[in-house]
Amino acid sequence: MEVGHRQQNDVAVVALSGRLDASAATQAEAGLDSALGSPGPRLAIDLTGLDYISSAGLRVLLVVAKKVQRANGKLALFGLCDNVREVFAVSGFDTIFPIAADAAGAVAAVR
Amino acid sequence: MLSFVEEIVLLMLDDDTGRLPDLPLASMETVLAGAALMDLALRDRIDTDLERLTVIDPAPLGDDILDDALHRLAAAENVLTVPAAVEALATHADPYCDQALARLVAGGILREDNGRFLWMFQRRRYPVVDDREQREVRERLRRVVLTDEIPDPRDVVMICLVDACGLFGHVLDAEEQGPARPRIEQLRRMDLIGQAVGTAVAQIGFTIRHNPSAVF
Repeated sequence: MEVGHRQQNDVAVVALSGRLDASAATQAEAGLDSALGSPGPRLAIDLTGLDYISSAGLRVLLVVAKKVQRANGKLALFGLCDNVREVFAVSGFDTIFPIAADAAGAVAAVR
Repeated sequence: MLSFVEEIVLLMLDDDTGRLPDLPLASMETVLAGAALMDLALRDRIDTDLERLTVIDPAPLGDDILDDALHRLAAAENVLTVPAAVEALATHADPYCDQALARLVAGGILREDNGRFLWMFQRRRYPVVDDREQREVRERLRRVVLTDEIPDPRDVVMICLVDACGLFGHVLDAEEQGPARPRIEQLRRMDLIGQAVGTAVAQIGFTIRHNPSAVF
């Protein structure tokens, strides 16, 4: 699991790549938490390089989404590959998270 | 913090009679097995995906129920899907309810009262002594179900278990239940173990309705 972070004006774009499972959950959550510093955080999560997500990985995203909501912020995802998209569809996470087609769409969605 | 097994047993208790609901035994066992699996998942002992359940850390937790479940999963010879794991563990989950009740009594949350009525029916009463735990669960679930609040993972687990037991009548008022159904359906999909528990309990109910002589 690799976590990357870049700032696009007022939007934090965090990229998760590799496998997001129980062994990577703590690292991923810490990486996402680091982007939530200010009140009303704007967070776009780039999953372009993520090729696997387990239930533990889904929980990381849920916990972060809850933190963003509590801080009156906004969050969107983009770049889901087919098997990650299937996990989101089966679990209904695609009805909880805004999912954009690309980075520009995700950044626009959280502004 | 209570385990999910303890939380669902508490929530199942009738406030007035202190008795458990009249669920088919197989349904009760399935729910208890699912609760134990969800505990193991949130305590980083197992992980799941669409194809399998994996034991990632077999180290005991010091909880008799969860350690029994974890030991059985770790000893499995074949790769288990989540539904197969729920089904396999359910066949051993019968004692979990009594174990959870005993712990709740020992923890001062419940008191045991062998009353005359229950003596006749060979069941025990567990009136709630301190209902803070029960209220906390209900209030948490009401807030998540009746608003657009993003649930935390523990809320998702409890929604799966409560719905599998048909217990939303204990959580929501009668007029709230219909409008809340789409939201409950949305939330109960969010945990793969919860999905498997819900499906298994529904199948047990279907079998009983179509073959009432089936023994559960």
